[in-house]
This record gives sequence, structure tokens and C-alpha cells, in this order.
Amino acid sequence: MAEQIDNIQTNSGLSRRGFIKSCSVAAAALGLSETMIPKLVEAAESSERPTVIWLHFQECTGCTESLLRGSHPDIGRLILDIISLDYHETVMVPSGHQAEKSLHDSVAKNAGKYILVVEGAIPTADNGNFCKISGRTAMDILADVGPKAAAIIAMGTCASFGGIQAAAPNPTGAKGVRDLISDVPIINISGCPPNPITFLGTVLHYLTFKRLPNCDEMGRPLFAYGRRIHDHCERRAHFDEGRFAEEFGDFGHKNGYCLYKVGCKGPETFSNCPAARFNDVDVWPVSVGHGCVGCTEPNFWDSMTPFYERLPNVAIPGTGIVADADSAGRKILGVAAAAVGIHAAVGIGKSITNKKKDE
Amino acid sequence: MSYEIKNVWSVLLRLFHWSLVLSIITLVVTGVYINTPWTNTTLEGSVSFPMTNMRYLHFLAGYLFTAAVIVRLFLYIFGNRQERIWDVLPVTPRNIKSLITTLGFYTYISDTHDPRPGHNPLAGMTYIVTVTAAIFQLISGFYMLFPESSFWQPLGNTLFGSQQQGRFIHHLLMWYFILFAFVHVYIVIWNDLRTPEGLISSMFSGKKFKQKNA
Repeated sequence: MAEQIDNIQTNSGLSRRGFIKSCSVAAAALGLSETMIPKLVEAAESSERPTVIWLHFQECTGCTESLLRGSHPDIGRLILDIISLDYHETVMVPSGHQAEKSLHDSVAKNAGKYILVVEGAIPTADNGNFCKISGRTAMDILADVGPKAAAIIAMGTCASFGGIQAAAPNPTGAKGVRDLISDVPIINISGCPPNPITFLGTVLHYLTFKRLPNCDEMGRPLFAYGRRIHDHCERRAHFDEGRFAEEFGDFGHKNGYCLYKVGCKGPETFSNCPAARFNDVDVWPVSVGHGCVGCTEPNFWDSMTPFYERLPNVAIPGTGIVADADSAGRKILGVAAAAVGIHAAVGIGKSITNKKKDE
Repeated sequence: MSYEIKNVWSVLLRLFHWSLVLSIITLVVTGVYINTPWTNTTLEGSVSFPMTNMRYLHFLAGYLFTAAVIVRLFLYIFGNRQERIWDVLPVTPRNIKSLITTLGFYTYISDTHDPRPGHNPLAGMTYIVTVTAAIFQLISGFYMLFPESSFWQPLGNTLFGSQQQGRFIHHLLMWYFILFAFVHVYIVIWNDLRTPEGLISSMFSGKKFKQKNA
């Protein structure tokens, strides 16, 4: 073991201290006891680095951007020490035919053993023609590469649930990996973007225990998506004590009060954001004054917009009116009140005419 | 004209009714507060917890509401003749006939009134819809209250998809209950004026008056 550690130090030029730190952060994210850290270290520094193939489909590369900004581990350590990243369109050196060859070779060589990471949704309308890489549709590539993987990590909300691409009316028929592949274990690291710590934690968990971590109903790892943001938010006290920002820039906002009234979706979103935070400087949306937009949840765009209101709008059928639920409710109640008024008036009119007849 | 007194509503049904009234009023007021907190303060370090208190009241009323719904479901099967579900479902010839009569009566088309001890089928059907809405309302409520529970989470996810969609449906159903309460009160008063058989007081006393030799 000592020899391996020495090798790591000399080969990559990265410190032993930083390496242990990465493993400790991952253990903390996974909720493992510190006695498990040596096991994680052992798994991470084993000479058998797992092959990872990273496919980009209908996406913005934000998930990769987020990964590049990770520091526990940084991208260099991740791809040099922990995994063997055989294909990743953003960071790989080859291009064109060479790139395609490396994908083909790696799939052929490691069939049944590699981890597939998918970033982006898969368009399925019109035979998937909306997204093509080297002449093949995303559907074809996934159908080819996906079933041969040992496990699939759907990186980001798009790959997990379709994300923004799947927002109504979903012209490209965008779908998540889980909707297209069923016979391979799939884990959803949702988020727009997800936290690199969650990704690393999942990979290390897989390396250490040879299986994917426990997941919730939506296939998201429980260690990262098991708890509700609102219940762990640093502004929660302001919520309970009734101190709210009414609009951006007002007194409440400047004083760090609760962002509930400006549409924060923390109460309906599950993620480790308040605990794990981002970019190695301990920030996350709520800490910098913007409400959570609920990006880790399925059907994220349709159910979480408008971002600065609490609830989605409703379209009143047949009227073309799109209103927030409360003004729609008030309108319907108004119509009901008018109907009741007319009904009562008819009744009164009828009893008056009946009386006249009796006379 | 002489009347005979008929016992129609059991104590349990009357308790159910007024529990539901109390809980719906409380739930709507506190629910609107929770969604759109209309108070705001800049006072820090105080001992005032408006949101916490409103939520506490909401949950308390939610349990009362749940109990009331369970009681009504029980009475649909084990209640007295008027309370059972078969008395209102428009599947028997008697109920289908009564439904048509009621529709004509409510729309001023005819003056024929069907004097029944229990609900007329139109009202009964509305109550079935309301109890169904109430079941969805309480499931979505508990789904939000216990989002990490191994019972409510799978149930809520199956029915609503996500927390936010559950919340949205919970909010829309609140508007159904507001609308229902409004129309319900109007129709009850209207009926009491047109056919004086003690409809409103029956929900307190359990007794209705039926015209003899009618």
C-alpha cells in the first residue's frame, strides 16, 4: 500500500494530504464513519482504476463545468488517480475519427465492466434526429454503449429526468436515461448542475462496495438527496419567525431573511446543497441571496416555474387565461357567486309571480 | 297540516359534519397564510413565531380533518340508512328518479320536491366527490408533512410525481373546498326556504320534519 501511495505522489505530482482530504470529503458526503476512510483510500488508489465513458447528449456542458470546479478532488486527480476516463468530449485530446475510435475501442475492451456517465437528455422524437454525434443519433449511441456498461450514472437533471429539454411541449421528445434503458443499474445524480462531491461520492461508493449507493424513489442516491433543503437551510429561523424578503433588494433581502416569498423552492426540493455547497467556497444559491429553483426534482422546469412564485400557473380551460392558482381560484369563485346570485334572483322572481297568480 | 319527526342523522355524522366545518375553516385560513404569509417583521430575537404557529394550527386541523374523513368513510358503510353510500348513489331506480326530480326542482323547471329523509342523490354525489377530494387533500398534506417517511413518500410520489406537484394539487383542492363550502351553504339555505322540513337544524338535532298525508 505504501508503495502505491508513493507512486501516486511522484507520478501525478499531487500531494498525499490532498488525496486523503478528497477521500474524507467523499466519506463525509456519503455519511460514512471515519473508520471507512482507509477503505475508500484503498479503493481509490488501487491500480485497477475503473473505466469511465462519459457521453454528452442534449445538454449545456454545465455538469462538466461544475465537475471542473470541484476541488475534492480536482479534475486532474479525478481522471488521473481515481478513474480512467476513456471518452469525454469536453476534456479529451483526440477529435474526429480518433475520438470515435477511442470510444469504440474502450467499449469493446471493457464491455460489461465500465461505468457510463451520461450528461444531457436523449431526444426521441423523429427517430432522435435532434442530436447526432459523428452521424449517429444519441438514441443509437446510448442503445449501443448503455447496455454494455456495469452501471450508468445519469449526471444532471437532463440525463436523469429530461430536464429543461423535456419542458412542455417537449418538441424533441427528450427523455432521461431511465426511460430508455432498464437492464443496467442506473443512478440519477440530478441537479442543474449537480455537486461534484455527489458524483465523487457515488464513484467511490461503487469502487469500495462494488455496488451503487441506496437510492430514493427517483433513483437518486439517498446520501445526497435524502433530505429536504428547507429543513437544513441557514435561513430557516427567519421562516419560522416570519421574517421574509418581499422583493429582491429590500430590507429583508439585504438582511438575509427567508426567500420563501420570492419563490424559493427549498420546501419542495431534495438535495445536499445546504450541507455540501459548491465551488469550494461554501456557496449555494440561497447563501448568495437567490431562492432555490428546485433543479434536482423531476419535471423540474414545468413544475418549478415561475421561479419567483410559489406555485406553477394554471390555464383555465376554454378561456385562454393563464393565471396563478389564487387569482384563478378567485375568478372561479366570482363566477360561482354570480351564478348563485342569478339563481336566487330567479327564485325570488318566481315566488313573486306565484303570489300574484294566487291573488 | 301536520308533521312527523324523523330521526335521520346519528351523533357521529353530526360530529363529523361540524369537525369538517371547523377544520376546513381553520385549514383554509392557516393554509393561505402558509402559502402567502401576509405578515412580515424585521423584529429579531423576539419570541414570536407566526409561521410556526400557523403551521402548528394547520397540522392540528389537518388531523381533525383526517379523523372526520375516516368517520365519514366508516359511516358510508356502517352508518344508518340515510348515511350509507347506497342511499345516494344514482344506481337504483328510486335514486335515479330522485336525481331527475331534484335537478328539475333546483333549476326551477318543476315544483315537484322529493321529500327524502337523507341526502338527495345530487347532494350525495357532491359529497362523494368532496370526500374523494378530501382523501387526496390529506394524502398530499401528509406527503408534505412527512416528506421523508417510508409510507407517505412512495404514496405521494406515485400519486403526484413530486413534492411541488403534490403542493400544487393541495392548493388547487383548497380552492375546491372554498367553492364547495360557498355553494353548499347557499343551497342549504335555499332548500330551507323552499321546503321547510328543518334541513339546517337537522345537522344540530339529527331530526327532520316530514309532512304527513303529503
